[in-house]
Amino acid sequence: MESPFVRIQFVLNGQPKSTEFPADTTALRLIRDILMLKGTKEGCGIGECGACTIIVDGRAVNACLMLAAQLDGRTVETVEGLGTPEALHPVQEAFVREHGVQCGFCTPGLLMSTKALLDENPSPTRDEIAAAAAGNLCRCTGYHHIFASIEAAAARASNKD
Amino acid sequence: MQYIRPQTLDEALDHLDRQGRRTRILAGGTDLVVDLRSGDAKPEFLLDVSRLPELKGIAATPEGVLVGAGVTLAEIESSEVLQRHAPALNRCSRTFASRQVRNVATIGGNVAHCSPCGDTVPPLVIHEARAVLASRRGRREVEVEAIASGPYACALPPDEIIVRFVLKPAAGITFADFQKIGRRRALAIARINAAAMARQEPDGRIAFLRFALGSCTPTPQRLSEVEDHLIGRHPTAQLIWEAGSILAERTIAITGRRPSTVYKEAAIQGLFVRMLAPLVTT
Repeated sequence: MESPFVRIQFVLNGQPKSTEFPADTTALRLIRDILMLKGTKEGCGIGECGACTIIVDGRAVNACLMLAAQLDGRTVETVEGLGTPEALHPVQEAFVREHGVQCGFCTPGLLMSTKALLDENPSPTRDEIAAAAAGNLCRCTGYHHIFASIEAAAARASNKD
Repeated sequence: MQYIRPQTLDEALDHLDRQGRRTRILAGGTDLVVDLRSGDAKPEFLLDVSRLPELKGIAATPEGVLVGAGVTLAEIESSEVLQRHAPALNRCSRTFASRQVRNVATIGGNVAHCSPCGDTVPPLVIHEARAVLASRRGRREVEVEAIASGPYACALPPDEIIVRFVLKPAAGITFADFQKIGRRRALAIARINAAAMARQEPDGRIAFLRFALGSCTPTPQRLSEVEDHLIGRHPTAQLIWEAGSILAERTIAITGRRPSTVYKEAAIQGLFVRMLAPLVTT
């Protein structure tokens, strides 16, 4: 059965957007297949791996578990809004420096979880880091370097304050 | 499928009155969007109630602790009111799925989804929580245990919506906990989950105890035989083991013996003993 279209307005990576799509479109499909931002990954599609993590109104969420219609009026950040190859975001820099990236598939989601954590709490404890990253699976690193990356990003974020 | 986001509870009730049978209510969507993807849910209408102000808010009042059905698990996690007045519910929110899910998932959605493993249900049950329901026909209250008639089967009529939960406050309790067993710590669907709260006298005697078990029976429930075995007594390690044994026996009496019973019998008792061990004073 065809779904009628829904029109929404929201702010994506600082830019106001107005777009329409069938009502059953998920936020992940809107971002990847309609707006063609391929940084946000689809891993499991059912909220277990965190590869699709985006930030909505300051909070990390799974884009695969949200309908695109739920983004109406919201402020959305994806990994494309973090930094550029010439000017990396400090969280991206920390992941590069601390070898937090191997295959890279989980990385956009982990970057967004880390950004949401540090925006709210610039000096998290190790337990708080674990709680914030527990929804992001990585099958390469064993997490040691990811923890080191998040701790390095936190050290920089808290120095700034 | 048509997406509808009402601005007020009245608008939502009007829609449910006309189209309730053909509508699924989206409170956070973290369960429902999975079912839409798999094709298990094929509603004609999606009613997004996640922004309704009438479903928000947490407050301690003389009539009880009020938790709006649209309150997210993240809001439960950071609520000082619930840390004080419903500590087992607060604890359950800390291990609920992942940060990403907690930021969106709601307590009303968790209850109405009627999963036997819903983590918020045992903590609500020990507070003898009631759900305030609204429809065009009026308002009524039911016990939280009455909302699920079986696994994933919601007993509420299709024109009705959960507005809030009313919990009896945990007055004077000295102990509260929520624990679960899953395949990993985060994002695991509970194999067994349980909530408890107790008040011990200065001499250690258990004056008050509430215990509820989830995931093991078709719907989560309190087990009064277990509570009765401990209330009024001085808890020793042996007494806690006995109560855990009664719990496992009662649970198996409800479910019958299954292939998983070999594991569950021991695990239910073990979880109970681990949970209530802090009550042992000698």
